[in-house]
Amino acid sequence: MASLSTTSLSFKAPSIQSTTTRIYQVLRKASSFQSISFGRFQSSKRLRLQISCAAKPETVQKVSDIVKEQLALSADTALTAESKFSALGADSLDTVEIVMALEEKFDISVEETDAQNITTIQEAADLIEDLVQKKPAACSIVELEKVMFYQRCISSLV
Amino acid sequence: MRISVMSQMQRSFSIDLPSLIPLQLPSRRHVPHPTFWLIGFEAYLLSQTEKDGVDQMRGDELKKNALLARTLVRTTVARYQTNKEVDPRSLMFKKNVYGKPEVDWQNCKNCNHQPLHFNISHTDSLIACGVTVHVPVGIDVEDKERKIKHDVLAFAKRFYSADEVNFLATIPDPEAQRKEFIKLWTLKEAYVKALGKGFSAAPFNTFTIQSIPGTEEGYSLCKTSEVTADPLEETKKCNGEWKFAPLELADSHYAAVCIEDDQANEGAPMRVIVRKTIPFVEDQLISERIFL
Repeated sequence: MASLSTTSLSFKAPSIQSTTTRIYQVLRKASSFQSISFGRFQSSKRLRLQISCAAKPETVQKVSDIVKEQLALSADTALTAESKFSALGADSLDTVEIVMALEEKFDISVEETDAQNITTIQEAADLIEDLVQKKPAACSIVELEKVMFYQRCISSLV
Repeated sequence: MRISVMSQMQRSFSIDLPSLIPLQLPSRRHVPHPTFWLIGFEAYLLSQTEKDGVDQMRGDELKKNALLARTLVRTTVARYQTNKEVDPRSLMFKKNVYGKPEVDWQNCKNCNHQPLHFNISHTDSLIACGVTVHVPVGIDVEDKERKIKHDVLAFAKRFYSADEVNFLATIPDPEAQRKEFIKLWTLKEAYVKALGKGFSAAPFNTFTIQSIPGTEEGYSLCKTSEVTADPLEETKKCNGEWKFAPLELADSHYAAVCIEDDQANEGAPMRVIVRKTIPFVEDQLISERIFL
């Protein structure tokens, strides 16, 4: 089982420089992943990825700022990730405006059913990160398949 | 003193609701200082779940609003009991499978099972409770002066149906456009709340509420069907199953009420009675009108 972290990666075959560069490029793209671990690699076909996706504190903070602005809360109102929109006085029109502001800020598109299910700041942040990760993730998985394929080639030579 | 407005509807052919039974505070004659009055209500009227709900609200104003909303619901529903006065404290509430609050008649001691339905909506300065007999009801209120932070048309394109966007686009004055946007919001929201199945059951862009030509305040609901093979052809299914009553309350708020038109009374006009009330203190008839 191979495990990659975004901070370090080493290959036994130093001569394959271009491949190494390619891998670092891929990993930089995937830097939003918290950790990636691969399942047992049987053939080059299916790759099982486990990605942990708890929303980053910065995302939670950005969501809080947007919520404060929409609901006209004072700057020193203490908001936590668990703060419920309804408890802050948001009605359905506020929630929809918050979703629109989040879409603009993060350049994502939220399904209406998802939009209405957001009730806390944490839920909004998790949904945002989920949507943001979905965009480069598809590329990264394809790239990583290629990476693993190369790695197998390398280890079989050594 | 916060003012609450209550709105009540009655079908023309349904059972006559009895005359309102006035409620009196059990031991006090005078109305004490508003803050104490409200605290008294919380201790006196609300269930533990409701008190927890009030406590969850962040800030005094929001807590007061939540408290008044529950007070209004309990006192309003209690007033429409037949035969005897019902203690508003004894009412029990539950949520349907989609989360819509409704009266739990089975668990209420001393209640007669009534085919009463209710729905509430509130803004910073106004709380509205609608009560109907036999049919589900939805109500929404919005401050007339509410500012939309986004461009109104962009907002509409994102969330409303194509026909509604076209209607709003024809309004040249931005202020008038904003007002129509808000009116449309209250109508759509009232429908979804009357439906009672949550917002995912009726996404805003899957139905159009449009005014009925030839009427001043008649609105009908049209559902946009799924995209057909020919994208230019969008079939609409307009039916009279849902009735709408747009209102203006206290000169400051737009409101919309939506009820399901049950088969028995199909096509019958809807009578809407609006009362302005401070629970236990004051009650004033504002208007009584027929909506076709």
